[in-house]
Amino acid sequence: MKSIVFVAVLFSSFAVKAQTVNWASDHQSARHLASGQLAIDNALTYSIQYGYRVKSKRQTIINLEYAAPFGKTIADDFNIKTGAQFMWVKKGNLYFASEFRTVLRRFENNYTRLVNVGADISTTIGYYRKHWFVAAELGFDKAILTHFKHSKEYKEVFPAVKDGWYEPATGGILYLGLRLGYSARNITVYLKAGRKIEQDLQTQPLLPFYAQIGFVLQFKTIGSKK
Amino acid sequence: MKSAAVIILLFIVSSCTKGKFIQQEGNLVPNTVEQDPTLPALAVNGTVFHAETFGNPQNSILVILHGGPGSDYRYLLNCKEFASRGYFVVFFDQRGSGLSKRHNKEDFSIQLMIDDLNAVIHYYRKSPTQKLFLLGHSWGAILATAYINQFPSNINGAIFCEPGGFKWTDIEAYVKRARDIRFTSEILNDAFYLDQFITGKKDQHAILDYKLGLLAAAESSADNPTGNEALLPFWRAGAVVNKALFELGEKQQPDWTGNLKQFTPPVLFVYSERNRAYGLDHARLVSSAYKQVQLQRVDNAGHDFLSFPSGWMQFFPVALQYLNSL
Repeated sequence: MKSIVFVAVLFSSFAVKAQTVNWASDHQSARHLASGQLAIDNALTYSIQYGYRVKSKRQTIINLEYAAPFGKTIADDFNIKTGAQFMWVKKGNLYFASEFRTVLRRFENNYTRLVNVGADISTTIGYYRKHWFVAAELGFDKAILTHFKHSKEYKEVFPAVKDGWYEPATGGILYLGLRLGYSARNITVYLKAGRKIEQDLQTQPLLPFYAQIGFVLQFKTIGSKK
Repeated sequence: MKSAAVIILLFIVSSCTKGKFIQQEGNLVPNTVEQDPTLPALAVNGTVFHAETFGNPQNSILVILHGGPGSDYRYLLNCKEFASRGYFVVFFDQRGSGLSKRHNKEDFSIQLMIDDLNAVIHYYRKSPTQKLFLLGHSWGAILATAYINQFPSNINGAIFCEPGGFKWTDIEAYVKRARDIRFTSEILNDAFYLDQFITGKKDQHAILDYKLGLLAAAESSADNPTGNEALLPFWRAGAVVNKALFELGEKQQPDWTGNLKQFTPPVLFVYSERNRAYGLDHARLVSSAYKQVQLQRVDNAGHDFLSFPSGWMQFFPVALQYLNSL
């Protein structure tokens, strides 16, 4: 318990989810974004992400993220998200952006294996300068369809358990937080933290907060012209 | 691209078999006595308990109290063995637990749990001279003490197996030690990562019970300080009663030791060697509330020593000798 509290305090003292971009940085011609994060987000997790800046009128980045918790068993639990984020409005240094991602996630323990297809929709509004930014984010992570497959251990507990796809949507968590970032040269380092609540707006998840520290590296394809 | 998305969507939709609703009892968690009339049941004190008895009803009664709150008596079925040694053994799943009827959070109080036990005892006890013993494990041992504290002259003897404490401060300290788990351990992923898949409202009992049941898998992990050797058998984890009683404990900070000195028979107090969160010091601290204590350590076993062969084989002869001596 002490160790949980310690790590929680450590991370929440930094100010987790989509690829965090400084919309005002001067590296907008760099099409590729690579990032790495360490987070408390339903566990102590690590993640890597790749983003590609699409040629369009408004800044648009499509991305792919893999996140997994630390733990003894590798790849029994993970999260793969893919989607796009759009910068809709810029008014002076104020930027308004949204992100839409589909989620494929997996959970396994001694009793069950869950595979879920979901969606994560978030929006950010913030003050962005060339070298720093601060933004607020609001998002909803919805577990839409979940497939349940139970182990023989759980079938000993409850032999009549029914495996298969379950409906209606099995879960949903709202999150609200802050992002702080610093950009220099082609790298942005950032901190994010916030609170979570389940979709009934009453129940707290076991970890009712999230926090993330990460970096985003922006680069052009090797050999490409400026 | 569009056609690929349509195919994936059709695949997902076609994979959904009608009838598998997550809130539906009987899909992910078993039916309780409310839905399944074939289960052995006992209707007293305004609820219906899942209950079973073994042995001759005229013999001395031994009431088995499970832990949790919210676990059930399935993991304590080894205690049936007392029936073959001259005891009338009573098992029941406490209110809102196991296969007993579910109740909403607002319905619970600690006094109600004591009243339930009193009602079960009155149902089975044929006369005031029929000897009555309680055997409580973990929370069940706390409930047994809360009962004795209220009715010190009703009971002829009691066996306590690793109760967190008989005062809230002791319970809190024990629970804190029992949950001291490394942040990078698999056990923590198993607990926390689940929240993004399943969420349940406070009245969606089947979902909440299923989630809590999955967490029980962590009990057998090598990372768990409580030292169990394997998964514990259970029917249904009662999430609502678990949350309700923990919240009541935090709010009311109960102390069930005030009248225990009036309880004159010796008690048998048992703790396990492998439970790193317990130990001799805590066993002495907690058991000191009673006048006469026979303290016993069960070696090579963890918190749930009643459920596994090594613990049970050490415990049973000691417990039997204790009961026969009263």
